[in-house]
Amino acid sequence: MTDSLPAPAPNMAAAVTAYRSYVAGKLATLAGQVLSVKASVGNNDLDAARSQWLEAQLTWQRVGAAYGSFGDHGVAINGLPAGLPKGAADPGFTGLHRLEYGLFHGQGPGELAPVAARLHADVAELLGRLPTLELAGSDMPLRCHEILEDSLRDNLSGNNDQGSGMALALTAADLDGTRVVLALLGTLIDNLAHGYTTRVSASLDKLGTALERTKTGREWPAWKALPLAARQPVTASLGAALESLAYVPALFSTDD
Amino acid sequence: MTDPEPVMHNSASETPTARPGRRSFLIGAGTGAAATALAATAANAAIHPTRITTPDSPSAPAVPFHGTNQAGVYRPATQQRQACFAAFRVLAADQAELKTLLQVLTSQGARLAKGVQASEPVPAEDLPAIAGGPPSNSGVLGEDVPPGSFTMTVGLGASLFDNLAYGLAGKKPKGLTGMRVFPNDTPDPTWTGGDLLLQLCADSADMIHYALREITKATRGLLALSWKINGFHSAPRPAGNPRNLFGYKDGIVNPRQDDHLVWITPESGQPDWAVGGTFIVVRLIRMLVEFWDRVGLGEQDGMIGRHRASGAPLGAVHETDTPDYANDPEGQNIPLDAHIRLANPRTKSTDASRLLRRGYNYDLGVDLNGNLQAGLIFTSFQRNIQSQFEATQLRLVDEPMTDYIEPFGGGYFIGLPGVQAADGFLGEGLFN
Repeated sequence: MTDSLPAPAPNMAAAVTAYRSYVAGKLATLAGQVLSVKASVGNNDLDAARSQWLEAQLTWQRVGAAYGSFGDHGVAINGLPAGLPKGAADPGFTGLHRLEYGLFHGQGPGELAPVAARLHADVAELLGRLPTLELAGSDMPLRCHEILEDSLRDNLSGNNDQGSGMALALTAADLDGTRVVLALLGTLIDNLAHGYTTRVSASLDKLGTALERTKTGREWPAWKALPLAARQPVTASLGAALESLAYVPALFSTDD
Repeated sequence: MTDPEPVMHNSASETPTARPGRRSFLIGAGTGAAATALAATAANAAIHPTRITTPDSPSAPAVPFHGTNQAGVYRPATQQRQACFAAFRVLAADQAELKTLLQVLTSQGARLAKGVQASEPVPAEDLPAIAGGPPSNSGVLGEDVPPGSFTMTVGLGASLFDNLAYGLAGKKPKGLTGMRVFPNDTPDPTWTGGDLLLQLCADSADMIHYALREITKATRGLLALSWKINGFHSAPRPAGNPRNLFGYKDGIVNPRQDDHLVWITPESGQPDWAVGGTFIVVRLIRMLVEFWDRVGLGEQDGMIGRHRASGAPLGAVHETDTPDYANDPEGQNIPLDAHIRLANPRTKSTDASRLLRRGYNYDLGVDLNGNLQAGLIFTSFQRNIQSQFEATQLRLVDEPMTDYIEPFGGGYFIGLPGVQAADGFLGEGLFN
């Protein structure tokens, strides 16, 4: 499920190039996964669609599209109903979370087939535009920090949960995405602060362990169903990881 | 980073550019135009709140962090006005990490108590040496942090000693248990217990917030906040001891330090490491203030055993007057089941059950039915939980006041001995 990590980039331009190619691979995977969801929805096999939706959602999380990296494309693929006039019923609510909403609120092929088709088109469009999409080198260190800020702000808060309760799975996928960006920046970080990559990696390892320990068998539990005592090791290790990640952007800052 | 433009703190230079404050109108009061302007200002005042609030009183001196005993119990002599009680789960992986946690807490507590100047170097253990990172100070109190009578008092719960990862089972103080459930309690697990308690006290609410934020940042990953409640200690109304939310003066009778009822001594039968510590009991007691306000004053006075206006025991004049139970055996003056009479019967046999109370009022929000969630953070310090707090609490079972209160949370903790050596840390004796 987790890919092997990319080699450290020798400079920021190379890091951006490698990240772009990583995203392209993930989007291609995502396009295939969305086709599977679309087929299952069309056949009214909603159990299959629910687990396929989760795989697709996790692929998107691994892209590491923090803080609106892909602009309107990102909103079309991963937007939320918050802020829309009609909320979950708003026609502007599209994408993966719209599928999640329908699949966990008793909607069927009539409502969800067009959603899946539209999502497939949106992923294909982003994939097509990716080669010319501007990815700023200065965003890479921010992305390294903020993917997991989004986990805390959006997943573990429940803000983006449209019924699946899969905040832990999403957070684990966010962690994967963070590890990829950290690996790409590893040499650059260590050139600026020797040993800091190892320090951050150690905090990510602790988070990974805490996440794995919430599983019963191979299944992720619903986040909100866990008692506080079971949530605390996750939120505490995430907090500790964020405190160390917060210094990654500063390393690359030219502000001083 | 470029230096910001120097800011002029000269009121004369600010006045022309700032919008007119109230003072500029008051100076000209009396002339027709100015009087009209004043009236207009008064009319606007309801819409536009005054822009400048009352300045904080001159900063209170620092309360020493170091000493035989922890601060926040008998030190400072005057209880601070604001407090936070925060209970944490300890997530340290092993004894070594627990030790690190207590060292970090010590360093934070000492630093905050002293006040922090922006020009001082940040302790190396707090932040990686990376320039341009997030600021070391949240800025809630500005760049320089005044001491503000800040005290941090740390207690450990029974669950910490029971955690096999720390190997401290043999160091557990006698009588340290989970909080006993008394007959009139309605305990809520989300507000009960904790591996570690922080009592933070200061003279301002922003200092309390600042301190908790600093401490949680410095201990991220080692501590997880389980519950917290903020409280306030009211100003004397009009004099004497402050009032609780039932309107009664509270905390009038407290043992003095030389009564030897609070600090654990070598004779207390506790582990050596705990000498100089104290047991902390926190009880979150909701007060049904709407119900209370529908009760006649005579009945209220009878439940408490004091006159509300003066705070004096019923039949007496001054709040500090000693109730004369010996000459009131039938309870004709102070009912036998009045709160103060049950809590402290003032007999030889109950004398040693007295405890130091240092509570705070709280005001949390709204309940399901639109009633105020308000009450008392009862906090007591004693050398023995069972013979002091529990003995007192058992005398109070089914007192008439129970209809108006709901104890719903809190916990028992061992307050650690003080830190004396400059390089010492809280709970150091646990690791010897």
